[in-house]
Amino acid sequence: MERDFQNESQDVISNTPSQKNAQLWVIASGKGGVGKTFTTSSLAISLSKMGHNVVIIDLDLSGANVHSVFGLPPHPQSIRQFFEGSKTLAELVLPTSVPKVSYIQGFWDAWTPTDISTEQIRGLVPEAKKLKADYIIVDLGAGAVEGHLEILKLADEKILISSPEPTSIEKTYRLIESFVCHSLKEHSVPEAYEHIIKTLRDHRQGFSGDHFSFRNYLKESSGIQPDYFETLLTKPLRLIVNSCRTQANTELGHSMKSVCYKYYDFKIDFIGALDYDNAVWQSIRNREPVLIAQPFTPLAGQFLATCKQLIDPKDLRAVI
Amino acid sequence: MNIGSRYNYYDILELNSNSAHQDVTTAYERVRATYSGDNPALYTIFSEQEARELLILIEEAYAVLGNKNLRAIYDQRLLSGRFQNEELSLQAILAASKQMTTEQKPEEKKAPYVKNDRFEEEIASCALWNGDLLKKVRDYKNITTNKMSEITKINSYYVTAIENMDYENLPAPVFIRGYVVQIARVLGLDDKKVADSYMKVFKENNAQK
Repeated sequence: MERDFQNESQDVISNTPSQKNAQLWVIASGKGGVGKTFTTSSLAISLSKMGHNVVIIDLDLSGANVHSVFGLPPHPQSIRQFFEGSKTLAELVLPTSVPKVSYIQGFWDAWTPTDISTEQIRGLVPEAKKLKADYIIVDLGAGAVEGHLEILKLADEKILISSPEPTSIEKTYRLIESFVCHSLKEHSVPEAYEHIIKTLRDHRQGFSGDHFSFRNYLKESSGIQPDYFETLLTKPLRLIVNSCRTQANTELGHSMKSVCYKYYDFKIDFIGALDYDNAVWQSIRNREPVLIAQPFTPLAGQFLATCKQLIDPKDLRAVI
Repeated sequence: MNIGSRYNYYDILELNSNSAHQDVTTAYERVRATYSGDNPALYTIFSEQEARELLILIEEAYAVLGNKNLRAIYDQRLLSGRFQNEELSLQAILAASKQMTTEQKPEEKKAPYVKNDRFEEEIASCALWNGDLLKKVRDYKNITTNKMSEITKINSYYVTAIENMDYENLPAPVFIRGYVVQIARVLGLDDKKVADSYMKVFKENNAQK
């Protein structure tokens, strides 16, 4: 069984004709349990339905579970071997039950707390892009740790997942702040960076009454290259609001976008609201991807629309 | 958002300056929903007080951009770039709009003709109005027959007939009176006086026939 899987995976990989680098999509969230792994697998399945080859990389340090979503047992080959240098990333790709979707097993043998350093991420990303696939989707753990922020920075698409609960919204904002600060760190001299952190802290603690605006702050202060913000305009952070139960929940993404614009002065892109669907937890219990078990639900349609929008926004508009 | 954009209403509603009118309303409803009530999206970012202040700005922005006339004035000022921030505020735009509507009316009345005081006096004191006099006043005020017909919607054929007192080519007297009233109004005359006088002359002439 295992051998078959491996052969199949080799086929999938060698059959892909694309010469250009794979697109790297990174799925992150501030809070755990909002549906990162579910979104990752669903986006992968939707992309595969559109004819693309997808490799999922499970980078959830707190406990990998991409394999569980696909109903697979944890595989002894994991990304640990890549970081230890004993195997290349391409050797670690495993097939799933879904055609054109394969994955790389995350740490599940984490008896000792694991951390991924910025250097490790910098080593991983170029290798991941060289994988013979059209899209690499990285499933991160929750929270704003440095490794997460670094891979988000290097990603082609940065997708944040939030649920409509205030706890998740709060952590999403914190993740956005951390991400911007982390990205600015590289574009600024250390003193300027420390100053911006201090200014942020002062604002947070209420020493200064005005609204904080990143862009204005950067224009006024020296030592930081503000052109970084221009790249945030062309390649914005994307937001998906998961498990919406009401119309107000569905509108929440627009509100969060507006808040980001008014408070941080940069635009995030709200790409979709996903309905709460009992089929999700039921299919997770059955360890079968929901988009495979129930492929014609509105939820599946929402994912397909989201993927289309991400791949070619103009295309979607033309349909409308 | 910054202080400088206090009066950038497009920025407040998060719109492009070329957004269509219906998009303005959609955007307004969206931001209003965001900053009113206790929207969870504000959590840890904006306090209630800040949200209320933002809401005032949002209402102000919509008052300008949601109104086609005010938006046109605002756009003009914004594009020219010669206006101070205060001149882009709702109050300033409203004031400018009022000024425009009151200024326009006297401008329309000011027909391009050279004033002749003596003739004006003559008009004022005139008690007997006939077609000839109407024609004189019309020429004096530089209004062609066609122009008169355009304003009053009276066929220019009848306008000429009224001035020539050409009864054969005129409709029933009740219509003629209406026409004369309209012509008198356009010429800035006392329409009742002119019509009464004209109809008297008209009936006298008609009876002679």
